[in-house]
Amino acid sequence: MKKECVAMLLAGGQGSRLYVLTGDMAKPAVPFGGKYRIIDFPLSNCTNSGIDTVGVLTQYRPLELNSYIGSGQPWDLDGSTGGVHILPPYQGSDGGTWYKGTANAIYQNKGFVDMYDPDYVIILSGDHIYKMDYAGMIARHKETEAACTISVMEVPWDEASRFGIMSVNEQDMITEFAEKPKEPKSNLASMGIYVFSWPVLRQYLVDDENNPNSENDFGKNVIPAMLNNQEKMAAYRFDGYWKDVGTLESLWDANMDMLSPESGLDLHDKSWPIYARSVNAAAAYLGPRSTVTHSAFNRGSDLEGVVENSVLSPNVDVAEGARVSYSVLLPGVKIAAGAVVEYAILGEDCRIGPGCHVGGKPEDYPDGWGLTVLGPQCELSEGMNVAPGKMLDSNGKEVSKK
Amino acid sequence: MNGLHGIIFSYERRNDLRELGEIRSASSMPFGCRFRTVDFSLSTLVNAGTTDVGIVLHGQYQSLLDHLGTGKDWDLSRKRGGLRLLPPFNYQQNWGVMPFRGKMEALANVRSYLDTIRQGYVVMMEGDLVANLPLADIYANHIKSGADITVVCGNDSFATENGTYFEKSDDGRVTQVLYKLNTPRGYRGLEVYILSTALLKQLVDDCKAKDQFSWRRDVLLAKKDTLNLRTYIWNGFAAQIRSVQEYYDRSMQLLNPAIRKELFTPERPVRAKGSDRAPSYVGAGGRCVNSLMADGCSIEGVVENSVLCTGVVVEPGAVVRNCVLFKGTVVRRNAQLSYVITDKKVEILPDRTLMGHSTYPIVLAKGSRV
Repeated sequence: MKKECVAMLLAGGQGSRLYVLTGDMAKPAVPFGGKYRIIDFPLSNCTNSGIDTVGVLTQYRPLELNSYIGSGQPWDLDGSTGGVHILPPYQGSDGGTWYKGTANAIYQNKGFVDMYDPDYVIILSGDHIYKMDYAGMIARHKETEAACTISVMEVPWDEASRFGIMSVNEQDMITEFAEKPKEPKSNLASMGIYVFSWPVLRQYLVDDENNPNSENDFGKNVIPAMLNNQEKMAAYRFDGYWKDVGTLESLWDANMDMLSPESGLDLHDKSWPIYARSVNAAAAYLGPRSTVTHSAFNRGSDLEGVVENSVLSPNVDVAEGARVSYSVLLPGVKIAAGAVVEYAILGEDCRIGPGCHVGGKPEDYPDGWGLTVLGPQCELSEGMNVAPGKMLDSNGKEVSKK
Repeated sequence: MNGLHGIIFSYERRNDLRELGEIRSASSMPFGCRFRTVDFSLSTLVNAGTTDVGIVLHGQYQSLLDHLGTGKDWDLSRKRGGLRLLPPFNYQQNWGVMPFRGKMEALANVRSYLDTIRQGYVVMMEGDLVANLPLADIYANHIKSGADITVVCGNDSFATENGTYFEKSDDGRVTQVLYKLNTPRGYRGLEVYILSTALLKQLVDDCKAKDQFSWRRDVLLAKKDTLNLRTYIWNGFAAQIRSVQEYYDRSMQLLNPAIRKELFTPERPVRAKGSDRAPSYVGAGGRCVNSLMADGCSIEGVVENSVLCTGVVVEPGAVVRNCVLFKGTVVRRNAQLSYVITDKKVEILPDRTLMGHSTYPIVLAKGSRV
């Protein structure tokens, strides 16, 4: 069955900079914004953009991600002619390897793409929070007759050296690409979203695979090779909300952004819904003595204490007399009476005992503050303190950031 | 597949539901923020291992069909069995004039469907029952007791609209069937009955031959001495949503943690259609206490002692007390509501004040603007 465009979603990220938070899951499966997981954003973007065939390339601890995606039904990606497909690395008759890099992951699955004989392939990443109409990007790709179109956004000049930077001409065609340049010539950063004409990309992937010196990476190898060969490469400007949530700080930031639609991340917008596989639970209850302000919460929660400026996932309980401020609580967290949680991210099913104090305000720790993070299932017994910037794993053992 | 087949009745019109009941059957009344009444019957059946469920429909059932879909949310979208919708295709009376006069007439109308039942036993329920029954136990009890028909009762004589009440002997046998009482007595029937498929078919055929249509008069009352009718008393929460008053009172009871805990016991999860709305949000100036809330609400005003369905908006300065607000209700700035039930997509314009009373909640029909 021919498709005009097939999406390939790179979801193999280990999420090592999320440290203890990922537990046993791959980064794209990390909960976000109360009811979502990171991967809901690219998947929902696909559906909303009219792309009904998505390959999800997994490799690192895929169990949770695989079971979350399931048939793809929550995203309407369970159609009979396309739908979502999980693509793990596999062994062929002449052997097989792990995905060596982003380009190699697509190379190994060229058979999957060929099956749909698409004109275009869109490469997405599983660790970005954004809402984007890919149809607009594909339209630009067609209009410019480019071999590759890269989605870019303007970033502040002083941050430009952290990104892959594109230089463009007057027609917004890419003339140069520099990965994390010390002296950026432009402030257009690549968002890691590429549209390729499939026959062209296919050839580049084969050539790249035959190059023993290649790291088999889009940013490092394939894009530079295409530029070298003077392929037509278009930039597609995006000016909406976009955030790479690869670090604990950026994940926390994006959660806080979700509370304020002014940030650009408006999840109540009915024209571009973000779909998720939701848990089944009763409605959330806000108790008679609760104070919940500037916070989001979800079903199955029982909030009896103070919750301010926080994002709470389903089935979170905050007992009377407890306080949660500027924190992100993943599903199933229970906070006992008298406990205080500030500026923290608590992993799934954490138990915070009575009178515990987790984290602290930045202003109280002028030298040496950081987010406090607890791994999934971490249990704190009564009265424990966890200082700001500390990270505890599932067994309550302190872990240092490498 | 266990041996129990479910039949849910959703054909009766409940006039006491006023505006709420004009556009939907009692089975698809929103209840508990994100559920519909029928979710409780369906979940009760599915949690007991039932795989095949038929729903007998009549009247305004578009809303119910929309909610049920293919039955997927209850795992009832199956190749064999699963959910079977039974709309009236063969009216006994003039076309569209009257709903079925009784359950036996409704069943006679779907007689050929009864022949397709693969299971040995049938549980019949009403779609307006809100209870989380341990149906697997009730079924096991039915087999063990040797009853011809098990009649599930609540442990009270609560006056529900057009209720059926039972008196029983010490060993649990039904001794009297009561209905149309001014002052109810005995045990309140929850309109949940278990009997064998063979007996059901026989009773349907007998009644049809005699032009009898009433389950409680022509079967339960008429045959209470010849058949072994036994009660099963359920001590937990059981609401029958048949009037605005009962709907309101029962909704408010959900604010009681003990009742919520029992109705939403994790052992028997109540399943409902999913929602793709964002998490609910209370703003910096909002205040929301002793209230239940589904997804997608946005609260900038004050909400107290209320039940809010999906996507309710309460703007700054607005005050909502003791209300049930259905999906998509918008309460604009500085409006005040007390003891009000708003149907879907009701909009209360700025500065309006509406006040009902706990004994007479105001009902605002779907889509109205005040």
